[in-house]
Amino acid sequence: MNKGPAKKKQGGFLRGIHKYGTAYLLIAPPLLSILIFLVGPMLVSLYWSFTDYSGISAPVWIGLKNYHDLLFKDKIFGQAMWNTVAFVLIGEGAGPVLGMLTALMLNQDVKGRSFFRTCYFLPQMTSFVVISTVWKMLYSGNGLFNELLGFLGAAPVNWLGDPNHALLSVAIASIWQGFGFETVLFLAALQGVPKELHEAAMMDGAGPLRRFFAVTLPALKPVVVYAYIVGVIGSFQLYDQVYVMTYGGPMHSTTSIVLYLFTKFRDLRLGYASAISYILFVILVLLSWLQWRLFGKEEEA
Amino acid sequence: MRKFLLPVVLVLAFSLLAVSCGKKAEGPVTLTVWDYYGESTPLKSVAEDFMKANPNITVNIEELGWQAMNDKLDVALAGGTPPDMATVDMTWLPKLASLGALSDLDKLSGGKLNGKPISDCYSAGALNAMKYQGRTITMMYDFDVYCLYYRADLFEKKGLTPPKTWDELVEVAGKLKEGDKYRYSMQPDAFHPTQFIYENGGSLLNSDNTKAVFNSPEAVEAVQFYSDLLLKHDVAIEWTVDKGAFIQGIKDGRIGMFSDGPYMMGVLKTGAPEMSGMWKVAPHPVGKAGAGSYLGGTGLIVPEKAEHKDAAWKFIQFCFDEKEMTAPFTKAGASPALTAALEAPELSAPDSYFGGENAFACFLEAMNTAKPFPYVRSWDEISGYFGTAMEQILLGKSSVKDALDEAAAKADEALAK
Repeated sequence: MNKGPAKKKQGGFLRGIHKYGTAYLLIAPPLLSILIFLVGPMLVSLYWSFTDYSGISAPVWIGLKNYHDLLFKDKIFGQAMWNTVAFVLIGEGAGPVLGMLTALMLNQDVKGRSFFRTCYFLPQMTSFVVISTVWKMLYSGNGLFNELLGFLGAAPVNWLGDPNHALLSVAIASIWQGFGFETVLFLAALQGVPKELHEAAMMDGAGPLRRFFAVTLPALKPVVVYAYIVGVIGSFQLYDQVYVMTYGGPMHSTTSIVLYLFTKFRDLRLGYASAISYILFVILVLLSWLQWRLFGKEEEA
Repeated sequence: MRKFLLPVVLVLAFSLLAVSCGKKAEGPVTLTVWDYYGESTPLKSVAEDFMKANPNITVNIEELGWQAMNDKLDVALAGGTPPDMATVDMTWLPKLASLGALSDLDKLSGGKLNGKPISDCYSAGALNAMKYQGRTITMMYDFDVYCLYYRADLFEKKGLTPPKTWDELVEVAGKLKEGDKYRYSMQPDAFHPTQFIYENGGSLLNSDNTKAVFNSPEAVEAVQFYSDLLLKHDVAIEWTVDKGAFIQGIKDGRIGMFSDGPYMMGVLKTGAPEMSGMWKVAPHPVGKAGAGSYLGGTGLIVPEKAEHKDAAWKFIQFCFDEKEMTAPFTKAGASPALTAALEAPELSAPDSYFGGENAFACFLEAMNTAKPFPYVRSWDEISGYFGTAMEQILLGKSSVKDALDEAAAKADEALAK
């Protein structure tokens, strides 16, 4: 990335080292750790993605075969892609909206605001594994949800065991875990919206709904965009919840891209798993670029 | 530049020194052992005795569950930082062995276990299961074959006798169940349906392990029967994740019969001690081809890249020492695999938990007709495809034949890789 400018004034770069030696020395530890633990492995796994590699015996170069198999032959991977996209759509459809609604409610002069804020944020502080284990119990055949349904006279639901709605069940748990983050984020931003703007809009006769769309939302746009970018990238990496709650089943209905990557790793097909990780990488880069193009540019202007 | 070169040189020099010292030292050794047994592991007490006998070796046992171990061991073997010794499920071995991740124990041992030729220490079936392409890759510690566990108290009350054939299984299970209670438990994995495939004369793979045959007429018939227990006769309960822990189903009476291995004797005793006298074990009902079970169990392995191989082998030998060899039975309630241990008096003693009967004899009998799962590198993948097919079948999403055909096609692809 910084190859360009470095080439242009190479002499300057060397002189820079001399001049800013201490500075370079100071950034060296984090820089080295990024190179060694992030960039290095990324390059190595890029190489592996073109090989048949078990992790134990030596890798054998097979060109694009892994990518070809994944994109054109592997039905489970196709399903994992679809599952992941569906999960992102459900999660990012509901999460930020819930976050916004709760933030708007808490932005009123409610009593015990900080208590509610803590409540909403608490699941966010708890590890996915703990939350998923608890939700797995709630969803179980004689768990709380089915007991409540039974109390209301309804038939029990096989929340995680039915391929038709296992993914939705996982998504609901994830949304519950995640929207508190958006609540806190939006709440902080809401408090930064100048009161004068609202007052001015009120003078012009704008109702609460109109004020939300004309004043609040535009003011919150950078935060909303940020929440979506972080949210989409996070949701695309769906793993912990399905690992704990369903292990990808039943019938692969909750197998996500990352979980599938993990099972291929478990099968000691590291080349294949690396190819999956690069496909995911490309998807995430494209999505980030798209979001930046759609929303980010205006911010600069 | 020179200023900060000095520390680098010093660090390098010290680390080199440390490495060379570490290699030369013959002093105290810390043996890292990964163990998947869980709470009732026999290894803990064996390790304590071992450390008393070998004060210069410290055994450090890391407890991991079955699933966690399965995940972690692969990573460690691939990453090159494996433990010195590990307990593993026999079905994991082919993948690891075919990649050269396991030490050849023939070389490490010189062919002898505690002074006796290894080939004299085990039954022929066990010896076969311990070998991969002519190399001995594991020492079998306990074995796993399936029998039928049943609620003896209810059987007596209802005047039932344990089913001897498949037809009787349907009949007895029908009389045993009361609504949602006392059902025959079934699981959509590779272990449980395979029992029925073997009993019906079917196999999972062909004889040279190049093609899946679990969609053959015999196998399809067997899986059809198995799934009918749930879908047609409605005498079974499918034990999936949403049902909670298996032991819970045993305790609250949802399960009245199940097919499983001897390790469940230990699980019952520690997990449901209040049910003493309520359970018994009978030979598994036989199909048209007679008896047949999968043969699995626990193996002790030494990874190829282990640091202290000799100490690991020493510990393995100690596990099979005369005084320690029955520990899988006495501590974990599992069946030791060593022939000498099987003949120990503790094992033939009547067991008060199982109504004063020697439940163990049943498993010994089953071992004679048991066969290990196929030893192929892609076994994990194949059992995954098979499990998905079972899910499809039991959810009624697909016919038995279609689901197994689809899984067989995927398995063939994995075998060709």
